Amino acid sequence: MKAFLKKEWMEWLRTGRLMVLLMVFVLLGIMSPALAKLTPWLMETLSDSMAGTGIVTTEITVDAMVSWAQFYKNIPMGLVIFVLLCSGSFTGEYQKGTLVPVVTKGLSRRSILGAKTLFLFGAWTVLYWLCFGITYGYNAYFWDNGIAGDLFFAGACYWLFGIWVAAVLAFVSAFAGSSAQVLSGTGGAAFGVYLLGLFPTFHSFLPAKLMEGTALLYGAEKPESYGGGIAAAVIMAALCLAAGAVCFDKRRL
Amino acid sequence: MAGRGTGRNILTLSHVEKRFGEKQVLRDVDFSVPEHTVFGFVGKNGAGKTTAMKLVLGLLSCSSGEIQVNGMPVRYGNTPTNRFVGYLPDVPEFYSYMSPAEYLQFCGEIAGMEKKEIRERTGELLHLVGLEKEKGRIKGFSRGMKQRLGIAQALFGRPKLLICDEPTSALDPAGRKELLDILVSAKEQATVLFSTHILSDVEHICDQVAFLHNGEIVLQGSVEEVKKSRKAAKTELETERPEDARLLLSQFPFLKMAGQGSLLLEDTGRLWEILHFIAEKKLPVLRVERQEAALEDLFLEIIGK
Repeated sequence: MKAFLKKEWMEWLRTGRLMVLLMVFVLLGIMSPALAKLTPWLMETLSDSMAGTGIVTTEITVDAMVSWAQFYKNIPMGLVIFVLLCSGSFTGEYQKGTLVPVVTKGLSRRSILGAKTLFLFGAWTVLYWLCFGITYGYNAYFWDNGIAGDLFFAGACYWLFGIWVAAVLAFVSAFAGSSAQVLSGTGGAAFGVYLLGLFPTFHSFLPAKLMEGTALLYGAEKPESYGGGIAAAVIMAALCLAAGAVCFDKRRL
Repeated sequence: MAGRGTGRNILTLSHVEKRFGEKQVLRDVDFSVPEHTVFGFVGKNGAGKTTAMKLVLGLLSCSSGEIQVNGMPVRYGNTPTNRFVGYLPDVPEFYSYMSPAEYLQFCGEIAGMEKKEIRERTGELLHLVGLEKEKGRIKGFSRGMKQRLGIAQALFGRPKLLICDEPTSALDPAGRKELLDILVSAKEQATVLFSTHILSDVEHICDQVAFLHNGEIVLQGSVEEVKKSRKAAKTELETERPEDARLLLSQFPFLKMAGQGSLLLEDTGRLWEILHFIAEKKLPVLRVERQEAALEDLFLEIIGK
């Protein structure tokens, strides 16, 4: 498994996937405080032209909260790009047949699935917290992060949501034949969970609940109300991995 | 070919059948491969050779029957028997962002070999396949270079059974010869099972051969036994004057015309009748030659062409 993890690292590094994702997440990390910082200037620039239309702009107070709100608007874009770039991680190997020599050398299929999934989790963790850290650093420099309630808990919730998405991606990849199928499957699962979340009965017991970080920051929700969503994400991710292992054991390479 | 192995079988297929839905690809395939032999697996495209090899590797599941490698049953999915096997696919694919040395090191690591052994074996095998000077990435490799790297990775873990799927089909004559030499040299340490439809390769290096046609083993044995078993040797007879050949043809209708003044006799038992007639009529004859059956003839006979 260690050898396969090393191979994954080399692949991410040499195919440029890591570089692209690093750039995206660093950019997203900078973008949230930058947009918050630029908001007064933007409003001032637009105020003259807006005055002509009858809209009156008032002075805006910008603080860390504006930046964090922007962070939770931007980070889904990062997750989508992460899924897009990782959708061919398994299927590319099936299509080229590169896993055949690996399996016939005696490496178990579970080690392959385990290494790939672990790498997805690891990559998401590093990229997400890097993005979070950059936003945190800028916010601390310009304003005060203390006004945001349960900041790290809210951050951890979205990180867990990303882990759940990565687990779904690994599960779909275990049986899908192309990256398009992986994207449809993963996107379908995320959309399904979102639709189910529209029903108030299910709302608190779905991983989609973990995306609502801003409610925690503003104190509109307490961390306790996220228990159902956390449990659902952990259980569903574990089930995805177990089912993925069964599918991957049987799939034709 | 020299050597017939140790008598112990490294690979045994017992009444193996494989169906893909309604389509039956392999029917009651039953054969054994003795240790330290080169075993040719012959059949036209689509005969089921690759399917049979994938079953041996546990990459496909048998519909019925059993396969044993080194005395252990093959299991679909994660078969422990793969630690005895080296496999060269028909179109070997590698991680294109690696160099050949990096790829071989990766093979050694996943096989759980020691670092020192990996380093030594990498150098040894790159030298064997003539890729020791290739430091660039596999991305720019030709088909022949990939085939050579494929054989190096297949031999990396010193397998007891080396399975090669059509290893020479896409190579030029020089590349083919090099690869066949490697396979013959591999026989010292391993048993080689290779599928092909190039019969001259089989005649050159194989000890044993099995013919697969429409999913069935229709003929198997040592190359010599197989050549003797089916078609008896033919006799070719060439007369000096073409009209004498026509005279012989009218006299002995079982003869076949094989060219200007040339006749072919399949039933060699009746040669004396013809020779008697030639002597009686004093017909000038250039040549009477016995022709041994070639694998190519056998193959064409088997596939009904």
